[in-house]
Amino acid sequence: MQVYLPIAELSMNLFFLVGIGGAVGFLSGLFGVGGGFLLTPLLIFSGVPAPVAVASVTGQVVAASTSGALSHYRRGGIDLHLAMYLVLSGVLGAFGGVATFAVLRDAGQLDLFISVGFLVLLGFVGTLMLNEAIRAIIKQRKGVVVRERLPNQHNWMHRLPMRVRFKKSRLYISVLPVLIIGLFIGFVGSLLGIGGGFIMVPALVYLLRVPGNVVIGTSLAQVVAMMAATTILHAVQSQSVDIMLAFCLMVGGTAGAQFGASAGKHLRGEQLRGLLAILVLAVAIRFGLSLILAPADPFSMAVLGGAR
Amino acid sequence: MKWWLALVMALLLGMPAQAERLVSQLSNDNIEITSSFDGERMNFFGTIMPDAGSDQKFVTGPFHVVVVVLGPTQNRVARQKTNNFGVWLNTDQVEFDNFPSYFHVLSSARLRDITDITTLTTEYILPEAHTLVANDAGWWKTAVFGRELVRLMTEQGLFGVNEGGVNFLSDNFYSARLTLPSNAPPGPYIALTYVFKDGQVIARKSEGFAVRKIGFERFLALSAVQQPLLYGLVCVVLALFTGWLGGVLFKR
Repeated sequence: MQVYLPIAELSMNLFFLVGIGGAVGFLSGLFGVGGGFLLTPLLIFSGVPAPVAVASVTGQVVAASTSGALSHYRRGGIDLHLAMYLVLSGVLGAFGGVATFAVLRDAGQLDLFISVGFLVLLGFVGTLMLNEAIRAIIKQRKGVVVRERLPNQHNWMHRLPMRVRFKKSRLYISVLPVLIIGLFIGFVGSLLGIGGGFIMVPALVYLLRVPGNVVIGTSLAQVVAMMAATTILHAVQSQSVDIMLAFCLMVGGTAGAQFGASAGKHLRGEQLRGLLAILVLAVAIRFGLSLILAPADPFSMAVLGGAR
Repeated sequence: MKWWLALVMALLLGMPAQAERLVSQLSNDNIEITSSFDGERMNFFGTIMPDAGSDQKFVTGPFHVVVVVLGPTQNRVARQKTNNFGVWLNTDQVEFDNFPSYFHVLSSARLRDITDITTLTTEYILPEAHTLVANDAGWWKTAVFGRELVRLMTEQGLFGVNEGGVNFLSDNFYSARLTLPSNAPPGPYIALTYVFKDGQVIARKSEGFAVRKIGFERFLALSAVQQPLLYGLVCVVLALFTGWLGGVLFKR
């Protein structure tokens, strides 16, 4: 069944859209990430114009993360205080990202930037996560009891000024690293059409040492709020949010996220992180190859003037 | 006296021995894009008749008919990736202003059998003709990038040449069929019909039709442009609601 997308100005198969929304939603529920970093490239390969794909996926990420965030909220797995700081700085970063997006698109270097951005970001984060997850799994196999975070285990970030107490996370840290993380994720997220959950989760775990039980919930809450703001920014600035496309993806995404979340309960934390790391690395390698390998078609075309 | 003679000669030579006109019709002059829009089939038909006021009773062929369908113009850019120290980058680009977003040619025979390349180019019947316009990039780059742009557009189904797309049902009555793809850009379209005889254009006609979004699709597309803030807010509310509903429905 074909459905016409009024902003993308083409028609696509409804079941295909709901299907990829569901598949990515499953992964987002499983790992607590928005799934934008998979969905945006998938849509672009399916023929959706890149600006429309990036802008509409932000809407889908909101929906996919909402159900996850709500269920974490009921379980008390969200540090709202911490999330608020992250969102405020994230929205600021998103303003910068959406503006840069327009500049790069007009210069014809958006593809390059997206490829390099994904490669560097995903490659770096993926390697870190995989390394950590493998170590944790090996330690556990050897029978070493993995130590829980000690309250006094601090790094240099915790010695910065402007300290704030985050009760739920049992943290008393400077807000500066929190704001910088939010700003960075807001900028990168709106530029690459990703929620930034896969950066947020390791940043919260390794940099801020947020305890595991609130990491995913807080990250999801931040993704919901920041992506909602980014959707509005894209709608106002580039007018390339396709509500039909986003809705088809949302329907699949929310259903998939529920199954993903319940599947996630059967896996251990380090196993989950290891799997996510492999997924992130696979996408990074895919983008790396696209830079190095000779493209199937060295020529490409685009419409100038306006997103559509 | 010389100029007078020349004028008479020109009139005598320039006047066709016979005059034909084309009476043609489109099957639909308004193509409506609805939620289930999956392309649209169009028919072009017409008949070649003696010109009004001439003494001729009938027309003599053989005729060839070429139908050119042109979509709204856009400014397009063609880009080329090159290998720079092992990394493939977009390094070169050529802009084509007012380039047709849709261009299909239907003809009753092979174009090169109908007429010569000069006529095809000057009448803009060949897709490449649209790239052969003055461009800041210089003629060589324009030609190279133009050819690639036409190829890319053809791969998207937006450009095409269908030699044999026009069928003559009798000596002077033809019909042609065109399927507009689902990615046909909305806007004003022009269908130009040329009648050829012995390699010369003897009659031509242009008809316009529109591809328009209607109903809900039109409402959405208009709101996205006219009320972007409200549109964005509605998107977010819809997303939050869908997410919440999904959580409620699948709650376990």
